[in-house]
Amino acid sequence: MLVALTGLLAGYDGSFEFKSGEVYPDTVPYVAMRVMMAMFGVALVPLGWYTAVELGLSWRACHLVALMVLCDVGWLCISRFILLDSMLLFFTFTTVFCLSKFHNQQYQSFSFDWWLWLAATGVSIGCVTSVKWVGLFVTALVGLYTIEDLWDKFGDLKMSVRDQCRHWGARIACLIVLPILVYMASFKIHFLILNHSGPGDAQMSSLFQANLVGNNFASSPLEIAFGSRVTLKNMGYGGGLLHSHVQTYPVGSNQQQVTCYHYKDENNDWMILPRWDEPAYDPNNPMRYLADGDVIRLGHVSTTRNLHSHPIPAPVTKLNNEVSCYGNSTIGDNHDYWVVEVVDDLHAGGKDHVNRIHSLTTRLRFRHLALGCYLRAANAILPQWGFKQVEVSCDKENNPKDTHTYWNVENHYNDRLPPGEARFYKSPFLRDFWHLNVAMMTSNNALIPDPDKEDILASKPFDWPFLRLGLRMCGWGDSQTKYYLLGTPVIWWGGATSLILAVASLVIYLMRMQRRYVDMEPREWDHYLYVGKIAFLGWFLHFFPFMIMGRVTYIHHYLPTLYFAVLMLAHMIDHFVFSSRRFTEQTKWITFGLCCFTIVFCFWWWKGVAFGIDGPINDHWGLKWRKTWNIYEP
Amino acid sequence: MAGPQDTPPLRNRRPGRNSPRIPQSDLDDDHTVIHPTGPRARSQIEQLLDTDEASAVLVALLTLLAFALRFYKINHPDQVVFDEVHFGKFASHYIKREYYFDVHPPLAKLLYGLAGWFVGFDGDFKFENIGDSYTEAHVPYVGMRALPAILGSMTVPIVYAIMKESGYSSIIAAFSACLVLFDNAHIAQSRLILLDAPLIFFMTLTMYSYIKFRKYRYLEFSPEWWMWLIATGTFMACTWASKVNGILTVVAIGIAVLIDLWDILDIKKGHSMEYFWKHFMARAAALIALPIILYLSFFWVHLAVLTNSGPGDSFMSPAFQETLRNNEMLLNSQEVRYYDTLTIRHKDTRVFLHSHPERYPLKYDDGRISSQGQQVTGYGHDDSNNLWQVIPTKALPETGRGRIVRHEDVVQLLHVNTQTLLLTHDVASPTMPTNEEFTTWPKDDHSRYNDTLFHLRLVDSHPGAALRTKSGLFKLIHVPTKVAMWTFPGQLPDWAFKQQEVNGKKEVNDKTAVWFADEIVASEDGEVKSVEEMGHKEPKQMNFFKKFGELQLLMLQHNAGLTASHPYASGPFNWPFLISGISFWTQTEGQKQIYLIGNLIGWWTCVVGLSVFIGILGADMLARRRGIVPFPDEVCNRLWNSTGFFLVVWAVHYLPFFLMGRQLFLHHYLPSHLASALIAGAVLQFILSETINFPISIRGPHTRPKPRQYADVGMKGPIIVGVFALAMFALYVYLAPLTYGTPGLTGEQVNSKRLLSTWTLHFAAKTTDAAP
Repeated sequence: MLVALTGLLAGYDGSFEFKSGEVYPDTVPYVAMRVMMAMFGVALVPLGWYTAVELGLSWRACHLVALMVLCDVGWLCISRFILLDSMLLFFTFTTVFCLSKFHNQQYQSFSFDWWLWLAATGVSIGCVTSVKWVGLFVTALVGLYTIEDLWDKFGDLKMSVRDQCRHWGARIACLIVLPILVYMASFKIHFLILNHSGPGDAQMSSLFQANLVGNNFASSPLEIAFGSRVTLKNMGYGGGLLHSHVQTYPVGSNQQQVTCYHYKDENNDWMILPRWDEPAYDPNNPMRYLADGDVIRLGHVSTTRNLHSHPIPAPVTKLNNEVSCYGNSTIGDNHDYWVVEVVDDLHAGGKDHVNRIHSLTTRLRFRHLALGCYLRAANAILPQWGFKQVEVSCDKENNPKDTHTYWNVENHYNDRLPPGEARFYKSPFLRDFWHLNVAMMTSNNALIPDPDKEDILASKPFDWPFLRLGLRMCGWGDSQTKYYLLGTPVIWWGGATSLILAVASLVIYLMRMQRRYVDMEPREWDHYLYVGKIAFLGWFLHFFPFMIMGRVTYIHHYLPTLYFAVLMLAHMIDHFVFSSRRFTEQTKWITFGLCCFTIVFCFWWWKGVAFGIDGPINDHWGLKWRKTWNIYEP
Repeated sequence: MAGPQDTPPLRNRRPGRNSPRIPQSDLDDDHTVIHPTGPRARSQIEQLLDTDEASAVLVALLTLLAFALRFYKINHPDQVVFDEVHFGKFASHYIKREYYFDVHPPLAKLLYGLAGWFVGFDGDFKFENIGDSYTEAHVPYVGMRALPAILGSMTVPIVYAIMKESGYSSIIAAFSACLVLFDNAHIAQSRLILLDAPLIFFMTLTMYSYIKFRKYRYLEFSPEWWMWLIATGTFMACTWASKVNGILTVVAIGIAVLIDLWDILDIKKGHSMEYFWKHFMARAAALIALPIILYLSFFWVHLAVLTNSGPGDSFMSPAFQETLRNNEMLLNSQEVRYYDTLTIRHKDTRVFLHSHPERYPLKYDDGRISSQGQQVTGYGHDDSNNLWQVIPTKALPETGRGRIVRHEDVVQLLHVNTQTLLLTHDVASPTMPTNEEFTTWPKDDHSRYNDTLFHLRLVDSHPGAALRTKSGLFKLIHVPTKVAMWTFPGQLPDWAFKQQEVNGKKEVNDKTAVWFADEIVASEDGEVKSVEEMGHKEPKQMNFFKKFGELQLLMLQHNAGLTASHPYASGPFNWPFLISGISFWTQTEGQKQIYLIGNLIGWWTCVVGLSVFIGILGADMLARRRGIVPFPDEVCNRLWNSTGFFLVVWAVHYLPFFLMGRQLFLHHYLPSHLASALIAGAVLQFILSETINFPISIRGPHTRPKPRQYADVGMKGPIIVGVFALAMFALYVYLAPLTYGTPGLTGEQVNSKRLLSTWTLHFAAKTTDAAP
């Protein structure tokens, strides 16, 4: 499942993997790829250190940040494999780094450095979002920072209107336009490189698939005629192929199920047949092409039953009519008739210009002749009895704008017609880009946890900050090298505690300010607030969305979030110890030493889970610090 | 955020740079803002309406109308409508004193029970289905429906009072009241035995009390101050105890109180810390401690009334159930020992686990092959083939408590009549290719010993817990293949005598794969204590707080678990725009239906009011940021603090629904709709004239006297409000057949009432659509 997820989300990674495969075709590619990934992981350490410097933490805190980044087994573990997360982490780190650099240039507006770091932030945002959509969260952090910054500037009455406009313009150009360009560029590369047909095909629009090398759509005959064997693709976002199988509905009519299915299968094939009261289709008769307004039957090729609808509520969308397969090649009734309505054609244009219906490019709707309802598949999922495929129903309402009622012919087989040519089927980049993004979004949202099924790998967001669960990354046999995704406990626990401490201290400081106690100088207060805001908001934005998301979540989703917890931990220690006036130099040294020792010790203790544990797991003593970790075999 | 205040909310305002800009207007009264004039300078109509007599007349008129609209044909339909199925039933349980379980707190249901008892309802009618007739069963349903109708009607004058107390003109207050008065959704909801009318009534009262309390803030700790503070707490508890959503009202008041306390804490006010703590403690007592005590006491009453066993038993823990009189578990729950012969039943479908010598057919209709083993089915009736003996897989002591069957034991089940052991294996079940077939295997043939092992897992149990009859729910997990024994209401064909299929389900956490031991028929030595021998048992005692804790936890879990799809459920985004309603009730005879839908004019006005208000706040913020003061401080304070409070109420009652995963319905928006009606009134006042009644708070001994100002919306106000009320009334009348369910409508009429194409009305005339 994880592989599928990465495959789908991997706009950028798709191209990357492919390229590295090209560069090392004869050597063992995975080592090289892992080295590349590990390099990203290595770069995290200096980035963490420099970011801490730019955030204005004391040198001890900077070292602490670097040490924590270095010694977290979770980050270490994830960077050693070919996963997207190390790149995601890298770009998250660079974004925060660029942002803090930019913040420090704020009094030299429009200087070269200012422009440089603003642009760098923009590029970094673009990269992080094109690696994984989780990158949007760090984008939101930059967005909030910018809004606050602009709000301050807006209140600055001394600033000229021209400067105001320049500030706005600069940010729009660098933080909105630039990232979008980067994002789209990465997709462009993705499309250019991945021009071979692959397993992800069926998610995409038919036209897009037609352009993939190795796909046979383009050789389909262009014009549809009676007697053609076709597959029908729903044109709604994430729509699948019209499908039927021998299993019957357990509810409603108890007739054969009709669904929408995302994979290629011969149960997707339908035959275009004439009405019952017309002479049956005969291959020796002259060709009769399909046109707008024709009344047809759709025969399911493998079961010979006919696509049928009747006034029985559909199983999920109860307000619509059920669609089923009924009868056979000789038995049927007038509820098998569907009227073909052309919406438009990509090449010919509007409805009036379409004479014959073309494969791939013509958009069709099917109206049930007897009931007047429209064939529709709108991503409603059938229960287990329908194998969680998409429900197909007949919508009593006529919504001409509803793309879930639009269909196009995808595969088309007819021996009597000449094959088509690829040039008929070009699709524009922007549309592909949009389609892929929507497909990614729908499949992302479709990863809904099954309430009946408990996935041992999945975890809930609440489990993360205090590291309630780990994740076994491979088989757990005695002879295997075992990797366990787990953070260094002190870092995770410390990070989570520091966040609570930060909120508590802020509330107390605010209340004391309300009573006009002076705890620190305005400069110190600003700094305390600035670093706290970056760390807390960053953490919150990377954490909270997972709580309201319906999809399956895993512990590695917390890894970018952890960075902000680490920054907060360093900030809190810095604020209360290293930069405090109350403590002597000696105390600070002792604290620093203690922190370093604990982190290094924990890392050393846990290094096995990241570098791999050989031999039976139960021989390794003392690794299980919380009883919820499934590190040992019972 | 409540009531006007001395300081403007934005502290970095730059006073003195710009004098307040007054929009140019040809009304002289506008200048009252800078040069406050006496009450006499107002327009005639405003003076007239502002008098107490005029106000009284207005209130009387509104209340009278509200009662008329809500009581009109309240006896129709004389059938169970929508959720009356639930709440009517709960009322009957109170009268019968039978324990039931529901996700909502008990106050409103207690009131219905009380109302039912008062009008002589005997509780025998069970409200089984929507459409069951009341008249045939002689249920005094009108008396029960009168309660929400009264509460719903009283909401209208309270809305008026809130606006009036907040310092808006009388006519504006009437405008807000009209938005609720003529609203079809509020009317439909208040005429039926549902929880929303009490919820909204108490919510409105809470807001009113809090506003009154804020007005007494300069007379702190005076009797009136205390009275309104305590009233706020009391009504807040009532809101919360009426329906789960009421907790949002608590949050809204909480936010207002926190902002208020924050201002008291401000050192610029010159208050000492002792003073702050005094205020803090007063609020903590009245708004935290008091509501909790009240909330608990409602539950106490709830549990004190419901002392008999009822349909809610099975939700509760065994310990809880044993406190209920005549509870099955209390009467005959016994520990199961090994070699006991017992009957096993499925929890949801109540069928017995059954087997008989007939075998599965070799080939099913769809071509799949079976194992041809002995059939295992679910059977609804008592039969000697339902008897199973529990066989241990471990060494047992000779006697004593070691022979009891416990949680996590691995057991075999022996079918007594055929002397075969229950078994499952990787063969597809007769009707579900995804599930495993259950069959049996001769006792003496040990070749498939492993396949006969089952893990007995008690639900919500702890290690070492004993299996008890009746009370102990368990799952039976197959040891080698990890499937759970499961059944569902699906019949097998004739070869299995149409009995219910039992199969092995891979999803072991499925909540429907739960069974219980029904009765011990014989023990190893043949002795069985009959129920009579055990004698009549008195209910056990249990600590109220334990009971409350268990119930409250279950309520929360069930509330979150209401995720099944419903044809009339709708997303929160649709609500303010009235995209779709809910079909409450239909009657084919006469084509009558009740469809919950609001008054389109009123709802859309509220949406416009909301957006205008947010726009005004945004503009004010931006302008002040640029050092411009767009309108005078008093008006600004009123907008931020009074209307802002309404906005908080609206947002708090609306936005959380976006995060909820459970089924959501249009009527969840009604509290927010009421708040938006208040906002719409305030916005209308602001648009008509930039004047307000000020100050409205009661002066304290140390309050600096402020120049008085008076609101004046002139003649335009009454005209606009009058025209608007007429328009609303007209639309209300037009939609009334959908609200009252009478008279019946022809297909064409239904089509014409369908103002938005997204409304899914019944009996629509459509040539192409043959009725199902």
